[in-house]
Amino acid sequence: MRDMNGVGRRGFLRGAALAGAGFATGGAAPAGTPPPAGEPPLLTGQGPVTGAVPPVPFHGRHQASVLAPPRRVTAYTAFDVTAQNRRELAELMRTLTARARFLTGGGVPEPVGITGPPTDSGLLGPRVPAGGLSVTLAVGAALFDDRFGLHGRAPRRLTPMPAFPDDDLRADWCHGDLSLQLCADDTDTVLHALRDIARHTRGGMQVRWRLDGFTSPPRPSGTPRNLLGFKDGTANPDARAAGEMDRLVWVGAGAGEPDWAVGGSYQVVRLIRMLVEFWDRVSLTEQERMFGRARESGAPLDGDREQDTPDYPADPKGEVIPLDSHIRLANPRTPSTAGQRPLRRAYNYDRGVDSNGNLDMGLLFCCYQRDLARQFETVQRRLAGEPLTDYITPFGGGYFFALPGVRDTTDWYGRALLA
Amino acid sequence: MPPPGLAKLRSPRVLGIGSVLLAGGLLAASTLAGGRPEGGARQRPAAADGLRHTTVEVSPGHCGRGWADGRPGTQVFDLHNTSDAAAEVYLTSPRGGAVYGEVEGLGPGTTRHLRVRLGRGAYAFRCLPDDADAVTGPTVRIDGGGRPGPAAAPVTEHDLIPPALDYQRWVAGGLDALAGRTGTLRAAVARGDLAGARDAWLPAHLAYERLGAAYGAFGDADQQINGTTAGLPGGDRDPAFSGFHRLEYGLWHGQSAATLRAPAAALDGAVHKLRDDWAQTRMEPADLGLRAHEILENTLQSELTGRTDYGSGTSLATARANLDGTRAVLTRLRPLLVTRYPGLPHVEAELGRAQRLLDGFREDGRWTPLDDLDRGRRERTDAVLGDLVERLASVATLCDARRTV
Repeated sequence: MRDMNGVGRRGFLRGAALAGAGFATGGAAPAGTPPPAGEPPLLTGQGPVTGAVPPVPFHGRHQASVLAPPRRVTAYTAFDVTAQNRRELAELMRTLTARARFLTGGGVPEPVGITGPPTDSGLLGPRVPAGGLSVTLAVGAALFDDRFGLHGRAPRRLTPMPAFPDDDLRADWCHGDLSLQLCADDTDTVLHALRDIARHTRGGMQVRWRLDGFTSPPRPSGTPRNLLGFKDGTANPDARAAGEMDRLVWVGAGAGEPDWAVGGSYQVVRLIRMLVEFWDRVSLTEQERMFGRARESGAPLDGDREQDTPDYPADPKGEVIPLDSHIRLANPRTPSTAGQRPLRRAYNYDRGVDSNGNLDMGLLFCCYQRDLARQFETVQRRLAGEPLTDYITPFGGGYFFALPGVRDTTDWYGRALLA
Repeated sequence: MPPPGLAKLRSPRVLGIGSVLLAGGLLAASTLAGGRPEGGARQRPAAADGLRHTTVEVSPGHCGRGWADGRPGTQVFDLHNTSDAAAEVYLTSPRGGAVYGEVEGLGPGTTRHLRVRLGRGAYAFRCLPDDADAVTGPTVRIDGGGRPGPAAAPVTEHDLIPPALDYQRWVAGGLDALAGRTGTLRAAVARGDLAGARDAWLPAHLAYERLGAAYGAFGDADQQINGTTAGLPGGDRDPAFSGFHRLEYGLWHGQSAATLRAPAAALDGAVHKLRDDWAQTRMEPADLGLRAHEILENTLQSELTGRTDYGSGTSLATARANLDGTRAVLTRLRPLLVTRYPGLPHVEAELGRAQRLLDGFREDGRWTPLDDLDRGRRERTDAVLGDLVERLASVATLCDARRTV
């Protein structure tokens, strides 16, 4: 009479509900492998890869999605864990792993006949395409309180995001136990994944806040533009340079961090409203002096092309590139500040209108680093009070720690932390 | 590979009797579509899913024809109805009758896809043409392979009648109690005792909510008894705004007893009418399974958002009453579910968890208003009830009334 594979089929912890056919096992190729000789240099800024995207391997030492170039769309969601104890938290993590593995690898959702509604929303058709999606899971400082016996196991530098002097933070848009970033080239891919993951984890975590973002196409070329009209991310570190990623992004062994955290990375998310109406009433010269770059080409004000390197020693008084311009403060390009650069992975956001009818849009800023204090916070302190702050308002975000990668088909997010 | 021209024959609604017979003969050749982009793609557009497709005939004479070579794994049956009547099709276990998958209402001449995961075991198609007896096709055995997908024995309307009748009797008793409570509420308003009316409002409202009046279970009566301002052009001043929430609005917004006398009387009248009508109503047995998840779906949508709070701040009390209503359904379906739903013990444990959580929001006889919950408690509530509806959705699909003969 009965013949159901019952365990975890539905609801919270549907971990066993792996899809039937064809999810990629991915292999364990470590991310950050140098590009093969002869390959054109990767666009290291915000440039989305257009056309066919090679799947980002799900398994590996790191979450490869951290280094992957930005996709066209993203949904960034912070969750609070509602699991009641450590065992339930581990179950939640296993479920998240199983869903992320399936959603990134693709395959046919499991048929369940008359024993339940369809296991898949159907948004992507009968077969979930492989490689359409990347998933990044990170944990917030709040997860290490007394609920799950994780006190004292937090990454050494993980704190709640402080309020910086130019911030106007709204509590409902800050922090979270977990952060989940889904990236893809189509909105339906991202929404399909978000619905799938939320459905499988309903009892174990609840959405705290969510902001969707997008990457613009190059206009007309080079690094995509932010919603102030400027190319944004030109001077990003090269995500394909493995050594540089080890120095700047990945938490390594011997850095005083807990063993479980090796291979992870500190993630900073900042939700930054841009006052675009005000900005559009500012003269071009003033706009360009605030950024330090030409709006049209993206070139530094002392250069001709976007990729030209600004020569600050030749301009000690800031007559060409003002001393308080954004690019000069953010990255002074000195030997002592080279190690302060994070890897930026920002997206634009657009979410309706403010109470006074102004358009609510801005930047979903995200960056990765191995040391919050040395990198993001140092840069942020240098930027305090920069002229641009009159036109932007950071209102939310948080500090998170992107977990080390899921090594193989038996591994799961946070296993070394929770097991 | 099907002969050229088959696709044309398979086009729905153009098949005459002659071509039906022809198609039936041609369809006997079952085929693999995967990996044959040219030709196959045109004839089998669904093969874009990359799965093995097998064309299977559905008709009284040839139920299941076309499938002989059983293979394990996730696969698709292209069910083609060659008869002149619509039919239900199940893929069953011939021993015990558990259903692995179904297509309902397969129209004459049409083809629809049934995706299933098969493993070691024996299988047979069962065709149930409208207005004709069920027919079981040949048994196909699969020797190797892993576990098949989940299956369950179908629940029939006959199975659902006893629990539905019992449920209906329980509702009748609840309506009696409700009528007493709305009478008390009406009397308090009539004598101008607004404090007493506020005290009487909640027990009366919960007596109604406990009956699980979600999504039209009580038809038009629900709008009169428990409607909101949704759809009313005048909002909370609209003359058609009536029932519990109309009174709630007045009682918690300082309206006078004189203003509320008519709404209180109308509510009491509507409840008495519902109680009297209920004795004459026959509940659709197949609705019972739907109620098992729709009551709490409504809770999530209306109570846990605060949408239906017109001032009393008792959304969580309503949620707690809805939990009782869900239990009343589930208890009666339990005998059908124990053999069909392995997740049932977990659902019951989660119902207990939800109950303890919600009971904790009542302190000294007063219910915590939804907005007074801190974020953690609110998320916890959403999580517990959200998890429950995910699991209860299976009760609805399992308890859908299905034919077996």
